[in-house]
Amino acid sequence: MDDRIIDIVSNGLVAAGSSFLHGKKAVYERAIAKEASNHAKWTLETILENALVAEQNRSPLCDDTGVPHLVLDVGPNCAITGDMLESIKEGVRQGLRKLPGRPMAIKGNDTQRLDQSLGLDEDPGALDAAPILIRSIEEDKIKLHILMFGGGPAIRAKTYRVFHRSNVDNVMDEIIEWAREGTKLLGCTPSTIAVGIGRSHYEATSLMLQALVDGTYDKQSELEQRITDEVNDSGAGALGLGGNNTVLATFMKVGPQRALGAHVVCMRPCCCFEPRIATVELQ
Amino acid sequence: MFISQAAIDSFSGEDRLMKILHTPITEEYIESLQVGDMIYISGKIFCGRDAVLPKICRLFEEADLGDIDLRGSVIFHTAVSPAGVGPTSSNKVEIEGSIPKLSEAGVKLHLGKGAINKDTVAKLNEFNSVYAIIPPVTALLGSKTISKRLVAFPELGMEAFYELEVEKYPCIIAAAHNKSIY
Repeated sequence: MDDRIIDIVSNGLVAAGSSFLHGKKAVYERAIAKEASNHAKWTLETILENALVAEQNRSPLCDDTGVPHLVLDVGPNCAITGDMLESIKEGVRQGLRKLPGRPMAIKGNDTQRLDQSLGLDEDPGALDAAPILIRSIEEDKIKLHILMFGGGPAIRAKTYRVFHRSNVDNVMDEIIEWAREGTKLLGCTPSTIAVGIGRSHYEATSLMLQALVDGTYDKQSELEQRITDEVNDSGAGALGLGGNNTVLATFMKVGPQRALGAHVVCMRPCCCFEPRIATVELQ
Repeated sequence: MFISQAAIDSFSGEDRLMKILHTPITEEYIESLQVGDMIYISGKIFCGRDAVLPKICRLFEEADLGDIDLRGSVIFHTAVSPAGVGPTSSNKVEIEGSIPKLSEAGVKLHLGKGAINKDTVAKLNEFNSVYAIIPPVTALLGSKTISKRLVAFPELGMEAFYELEVEKYPCIIAAAHNKSIY
């Protein structure tokens, strides 16, 4: 295995789990300035303060440190080897121990993992990453994006078909309804809504993941802004305490679509700390 | 984990009217709390969630709590792991279902996140207990945690029953005297 890659990935994972995404502090400052509810303002200030402490100490933003999800960008003249993939996995293991991650790997065979009868592995590094998503990029580099996905958003996320009836409004209205319901139940708002729309459940989910990688708080498309505004109209607010800031932004990626009456939509209401993401260059 | 006192003091809630609560909590103090009050909790608090709270309820029902004294206590709905502490949703079946029995056993403040149902709010009132919510600010709480002690059910690992000594955990009263902030 490649010690250099292991080191880069483990440090990247610690950064993902302990730092706000670039631009997010400014988003919080703007949200605090415009927040009408005293309780919600206090909550937003506390979340921002937490981000400063976590960054200073390189300690977890949240005790649900999340399951690693990996996106690998590969340039035109770069090659991925099996050894490189094993080095990435080892980097993830070491990063989880260093963060430290919450020990969340379930022990045992299929049945035992499903009913959790053998309990949890005490080693934070025993938590496997989700399957790696690989895509090509124009830059002649290999970049790894490390995302840490918490349980609350996973419980409230939804991937399902939506009948568009030849009207984008029908698709948007459905996403907004899901997002309103999800953020109300999430508790850890303000949320960033991640959306992928594709031809299958697999494609929609991978597009949702890419939306988080490529999304930015500085730029919102018209459709993204519409979702953000209409979910904010629900008034659920930070921590469900009411106010103007249920959602900070929406990151959405629309992929190829089927020539049918339906799209498959994946909507993840990310928590107040997500997307917890770091990008490292491996080559 | 180390953080300077100046950084702790810069926590912006200091500028607002915050009540200070030291454990153990008296009946009179609970009566003075109102929904929406912002408070700091200091002292010793218990921690438990889905796996252990029903077990603590059973110990109380069987009068077998031993040296666990729940009278005037706080129970924080969290795991205690190397990653730190942070609230889990209190409306999970096993957690919310334990609130009435634990209130009867003397727990005065249940600390978590998310809305709880009307029946639970009524049960809290019956035993003069309250529910408070705490932002999921693990790094900040780590800077305000002085010590931790494993109390019971070690086989549950991070979901065992723990006791923490804390300094100024920030929270908001979300349910008290048959009223709810939600």
